[in-house]
Amino acid sequence: MSRPLAQISLFAVALLVGVLLVGQLRSQARPTEISSLSAQELSQLVDQLSERNRQLRAALADLQQTLREYNAAGTQGQSALDVSREDLRRITAFGGLAPVEGQGIVLQVTGDLDAIALNDLLNELRNAGAEALAVDQIRITNRSVAIQGPVSLLIDGHQVGRTFTLSAIGSPEGLLSTMERPGGIIAQLQQFIDASIVATQSTVITLPATDISLVPQVAKPVE
Amino acid sequence: MTAAARNRRRPQAGWAVSIALALCVVGFVGAMQWNSSVAREAFTTSAQQTLARQITTLEGEQNDLRSQIAAAEAEVQRVQAEQTSDSAALKQVNDQLAAARLSVGLTAVTGPGVIVEIADSKRVVPQGENPANFIVLVDDLRDIVAALWASGAEAIAINDERLVATSSIYGVGASVLVNTAFLSPPFRIQAIGTDGLLDRFQASPAFRGRVAHRIDFFGLEFAAQAATDLQIPAFVGSTRFRWAVPREDGP
Repeated sequence: MSRPLAQISLFAVALLVGVLLVGQLRSQARPTEISSLSAQELSQLVDQLSERNRQLRAALADLQQTLREYNAAGTQGQSALDVSREDLRRITAFGGLAPVEGQGIVLQVTGDLDAIALNDLLNELRNAGAEALAVDQIRITNRSVAIQGPVSLLIDGHQVGRTFTLSAIGSPEGLLSTMERPGGIIAQLQQFIDASIVATQSTVITLPATDISLVPQVAKPVE
Repeated sequence: MTAAARNRRRPQAGWAVSIALALCVVGFVGAMQWNSSVAREAFTTSAQQTLARQITTLEGEQNDLRSQIAAAEAEVQRVQAEQTSDSAALKQVNDQLAAARLSVGLTAVTGPGVIVEIADSKRVVPQGENPANFIVLVDDLRDIVAALWASGAEAIAINDERLVATSSIYGVGASVLVNTAFLSPPFRIQAIGTDGLLDRFQASPAFRGRVAHRIDFFGLEFAAQAATDLQIPAFVGSTRFRWAVPREDGP
């Protein structure tokens, strides 16, 4: 074989090996595309995305309504002040800076829950559509997580005893069915942890505002 | 045969062996590639394809809605900023609004902090092992986020999804939903916080307890580093409650 021809052949073969190896490595990586999920998982995802899109449409409608109210009120005067005050009430309630009330469910928990289990409970309630949460009288904010303290669990510096109440405002039926479904979070926790978790619907739940400051110390608004 | 002729032939034999070996690799990899492609194709039923198309449509719709919400939110804030020059009372309320937005995650923020990246293991799954152990699970993300909050983070985003009071990190199969978005690995978690956030995070029991062990044991790809100038976007989504009503004794 002449030397240039051999070099070209070897280059071509090496290139082909490279391309095939990359293709193989990619195919062995987790198939994250949605077609790799099972039919049941895909159905679950369709439900989740549909519900979240419904929430987004509602959010967009609310924002457009706020804009219409501002336009109707003009840029000054009592009406504009009312719109801004209403916006402030909404946002402080959303973030846990203001007390709220409404329907929902209450979980009476007794047992040896660790921090992971309590955080999982909070996450499951949020995913089920809980709008506001509190553990005993500790309002849950974006920053609130359960951690193991020296003698008990702690949330936002407050002790959480072996027996506590977890209150969630949201659709009582939706929250309850999610929490109590077979194989759901309560069933899982009761299987692996020595705990009693009793969920009941409630027509009036009142949750306090958080007592910690959420004002950031180093995070600054992007100009 | 002369010695010169033998020397000329040795390199040719070397080339031949190299090319033969390379062709063997090509054949082997090509066969594997073909087999795995066939397996993936066979796995997707028509029902799955229909559902997958629905999801693609829903994701497209979601992207559109999020863009519209971001634009409307920006317009509301622009109107409020204009109002502040007209009325002292209005200025006071709008300043409170800006502060509340900043506190609860509705404003994009910048500052020092930590970048944590985690992705599936690149190790070959040993025979008899559960492949799920070698991929990033929703629990890993929850542990990392819990550790960051517990270490004093002020703002966190996963793949640019800002975490707020109503955010959940939810697993569907091996996939992850955060807020309204369907996220795929690699996961990049950005957290803004005070000096020492990285050290506190790495020492946190929430990190050391479970996810650190999985990183070591199953070889999940992982990196954590301090950063001086992070930018974390604002939350885009619903902030209006249907069930919870602000109490009159609030602000």
